[in-house]
Amino acid sequence: MKWLFAPVPLGRVAAFRTTVYLFVALDLTVFTPWVRSHANLPGDLYEPLLVGRILHLPTPTHLLVWAVFWALIGLALAAATGRAPRILGWAVFALYAEWMVIAMSYGKVDHDRVGLLVALAILPTVGHARFGDRTLSEAAGWALRVTQIVAVCTYFLAAWAKLRFGGFGWATSAVLAQAIIRRGTWLADEIAVIPGLLIVAQIGIILVELLSPLIFAVPQRRRWIGVVFFSSFHLVTFSMITISFAPHLVALTSFLPLERLRPLERLRLRLTHSKAPQPNPTT
Amino acid sequence: MRGRQARVLVALLAGALLLAGTLWGTDDNFPFGPFRMYSTAPDPNGAARDTRVEGVDANGRTVAITEGNSGIRRAEIEGQQQAYVDDPSRLGRVAAAYEEHSPAAAPLRTVRIVVRWHGIEHARPTGNSYDEIVAEWTR
Repeated sequence: MKWLFAPVPLGRVAAFRTTVYLFVALDLTVFTPWVRSHANLPGDLYEPLLVGRILHLPTPTHLLVWAVFWALIGLALAAATGRAPRILGWAVFALYAEWMVIAMSYGKVDHDRVGLLVALAILPTVGHARFGDRTLSEAAGWALRVTQIVAVCTYFLAAWAKLRFGGFGWATSAVLAQAIIRRGTWLADEIAVIPGLLIVAQIGIILVELLSPLIFAVPQRRRWIGVVFFSSFHLVTFSMITISFAPHLVALTSFLPLERLRPLERLRLRLTHSKAPQPNPTT
Repeated sequence: MRGRQARVLVALLAGALLLAGTLWGTDDNFPFGPFRMYSTAPDPNGAARDTRVEGVDANGRTVAITEGNSGIRRAEIEGQQQAYVDDPSRLGRVAAAYEEHSPAAAPLRTVRIVVRWHGIEHARPTGNSYDEIVAEWTR
């Protein structure tokens, strides 16, 4: 229980919050622009997810998609400032959840953003947090811990799903060959023909996923190495089959000592510093 | 203290849902469904499927139907593929989406889903392939 609530500086949550909300705005505009194009699809291609059916969410129309889009951009940018963290945080969470229903209800569900969704659901519970604040908070510790757990679950439970759907034969199957045929880059096509390499890669993937919880055994000071390791895995994936997992990478930053990020403070220091040494011309 | 109990309860509940989704769930249960990306085990000596959607416009030109010109992702077509196979007239919706997204383009007369089967041996691509039309609709 102590572990779940291990206190962290409030400044860490402040920086994580700004990162997450800025990413939401970037996600809508840069990373997943295809969601917007659902505005122009015929309504009968919409097959709502269970959550959409339970909540009786409306079939997306042109107006609905663009209204959610602009409201989310505005609210996410406002939330990124750290002001009114609860009300803005809950509003962003609700709208982003609806955005996900719009995104995933046309026959394809992506698996790269559960960590981000959990971060969005949990950040409003922390309340006010200022950049650079070193005050330790259990509420902040819980929020980041839960995000970390879900980020690691994205790997560990993916290994579990491989055993469920693919069985033990997954490691020696043609899963990567098939992925490369479907969406391989030039680099992937070069690599796919090397005998045995894809099988070795598959064994490596499932081992990394099964062992991913070990990041919690690494001392906090060295956890950034784990984050770099996971990120490099996604960099390789992106270079081979152009799947980015960007929202998941944002959730992974919950492992980092983000309280050291103080961009505005740095800027202020630099400005006052550059002013100070100038000699007064009248003397 | 009450806040702490509530937080533990919420974490346990979400964890249980995520675990249940992994064990028994489907994509429909998002965000609590299984993380099943690339979780199947295709035959290392079988053929690999590469699906595409194409249309033939009023000028007789064959055009690839993409996310860019129709707003529909390929994986979305694949996710609903059985519905298109059962009722090919559903491909008329794809033509409508294409016309909505690319108003300057010539309208489509025919839309079809084509699967290119690539040969695989010892989990490596052989370079051989053949095409199969799985659903076709003509206006």
